[in-house]
Amino acid sequence: MAKDMNIGALRTNCFRQSKVKGEYMLQMRVPAGLIEAKYLDFVQHLATTYGDGTFHFGSRQCFAIPGIKYENIDKVNKELKDYLEDIEVAQCGVDMDTSAGYPTIGARNIMACIGGIHCIKANINTQEIAKKIEKEVFPSHYHIKVAVAGCPNDCAKGHFNDFGIVGLTKPIYDPDLCIGCGSCVKACESHATRVLSMVNNRIEKDACCCVGCGECTLVCPTNAMRRSPKPFYRILIGGRTGKQYPRMGKTFADFLSEEAVLAIIKNWQAFSADVLKGQPRYLHGGHLLDMAGYEKFKEMMLKNVTLNPEARIAENVYFAETEYRGRIHVKPVK
Amino acid sequence: MSYELTYEEMNHVFDSLRLHYKIYAPKRLKNAGRYCNTDIIRYKEIRSLEEIEWNERSQYSPKEVFYPINQTLFHFTEYGFMESQIFDKDLLIFARSCDIHGIKRLDKIFLENGNEVDPYYKRMRDKVHFILMECPEEGWESCACCSMGTNKTDDYDLAIRPYEEEGRVLVECKSDQFTSIFNTYPKTTYQPAFVKKNETVIHVPKITEDMVADIYAFDMWKDYQTRCIGCGACNSVCITCSCFNTIDTTYTENGKSGERRRTWTGCMNDGFTTVNGGHAFRDDYQDRMRFKTMHKVYDFQKRFKTDYQMCVGCGRCDDICPEYISFTHIINRLYEEVEARKEAKADE
Repeated sequence: MAKDMNIGALRTNCFRQSKVKGEYMLQMRVPAGLIEAKYLDFVQHLATTYGDGTFHFGSRQCFAIPGIKYENIDKVNKELKDYLEDIEVAQCGVDMDTSAGYPTIGARNIMACIGGIHCIKANINTQEIAKKIEKEVFPSHYHIKVAVAGCPNDCAKGHFNDFGIVGLTKPIYDPDLCIGCGSCVKACESHATRVLSMVNNRIEKDACCCVGCGECTLVCPTNAMRRSPKPFYRILIGGRTGKQYPRMGKTFADFLSEEAVLAIIKNWQAFSADVLKGQPRYLHGGHLLDMAGYEKFKEMMLKNVTLNPEARIAENVYFAETEYRGRIHVKPVK
Repeated sequence: MSYELTYEEMNHVFDSLRLHYKIYAPKRLKNAGRYCNTDIIRYKEIRSLEEIEWNERSQYSPKEVFYPINQTLFHFTEYGFMESQIFDKDLLIFARSCDIHGIKRLDKIFLENGNEVDPYYKRMRDKVHFILMECPEEGWESCACCSMGTNKTDDYDLAIRPYEEEGRVLVECKSDQFTSIFNTYPKTTYQPAFVKKNETVIHVPKITEDMVADIYAFDMWKDYQTRCIGCGACNSVCITCSCFNTIDTTYTENGKSGERRRTWTGCMNDGFTTVNGGHAFRDDYQDRMRFKTMHKVYDFQKRFKTDYQMCVGCGRCDDICPEYISFTHIINRLYEEVEARKEAKADE
């Protein structure tokens, strides 16, 4: 019998339309891309029971299971309950109904590098902050792509997301502990922004352009250059891929406290609702920023946010887009 | 004589001791470690027992308390100079057996190396009194004190064993100058326990002068040319590394006055062997590693004719190395190579 299938509603339920009519690909969220390995059994079960037996590393670090038959979608959603209860409700504190699969595709899976649980370069535990952000953005029908990187190396590609959260440190220098070996100067020169120099056998820093990577703290033999007790964060905005005008994100805020980051992200829903007049569309963050303009974006995103003293906010952002259609922004005035 | 005190009582003892002593102990500095969300333990001035980290070995040794990383020797102007001064109080340092032995090695270098005593070392060293800290039964993973004969000592004034959960300490007082402080407290039979066995065992190579040229040519050093990054962290944490640079610094606001300062350096750091004109005798990391190894298990003993080696087996260099090079492994590797060479020579 012919099937009448509402692909829009199924997409919202995180079942993606296939070129094979009647088949769908489930996208299971894995916030921050880290999960207990026991769930691999569950993914295998879903893929072999309902899918075509294959599995794809989703390009946003979700588990993607293709080849799920339309008639099995309800069964799959029922099986997802325990997974959602653990991953979304228990681990992230998300307030959601877990009985019918994913309630929305709006906020995409939050990507993250492995971060501070493993990486020697990381400045933050990426999973911890990603899970706190998950609670703020999911489930919402406003589209937003977030990636969290443990350090300015940005292996998580925050530069190509609506919001890129980058873990920073603000190194503390104790000249009494410094042996003047110059290791930090060399590290900054080869890995970072060349802001350190040696004056009178001590280190001077051009604070203008320190990216907060912490490379100097990694090489210091005496711990004279050490990590700040609390980490800091950069927020990159407006990055995207896409057919028309992909672009790399730019710094919106630098050296934010965790509290400030979360307060800013909390404003995302109100900003989206304002720009889209309360009608969510399949249009993600960077486009909303373009529609509103940076001034408006800045005003709304910083509303009721208490910035820590170290925080810096961009006066303006200057995107450099790859225009696959030349002069794409030049349009008649409405 | 040994005594039992509550934490509160001991902290009161500290209060009265602090009139005449600065008390230093290993302290945990939260989130200040090399990697994110890691701590560092290093020596800091303390006021109470609660500030002391007992359960892990400090990454940095106690040497920085009396041999500071930076020490101003004198201040100068265009007309004259003034020697630097130090504080009046004496130093009470919480230290483990290996460190107390290590400081004896420093004494050799600063006080008995040539005809002159180093006055800037001596004026601080004379202030030092030790409070012995005990170690876990076999020490920590990289400890090799038993191999180096540094696991036991009686060179301390006080020994303290904490019972953190019960809020009490046992104190052994070996020195008359502290007896009056403790003799009102209940007596115990407490004697500090020492490590008898380590997981890590060092085999010290028996090297004679005729082998040295061959040892220089060993292939094993080549490994460290690419593995070592010459950061000098091993030198910085070592209780027996004593090298420093002497630098005249003029103040940026007034180039006619300044100070002569000495600052730690190490044989693994860049510039350590650089001479006027720019030549460096050990530019290659493999040569630096060979030099350090030979210094710790051959040269020192040869120079001072001691019955012990320079290395005390504290294991700190193993733990701090960002490239995860194990120095105890290097010594053992050298031992194997030296033994193989002896056999080869015997066969000739």
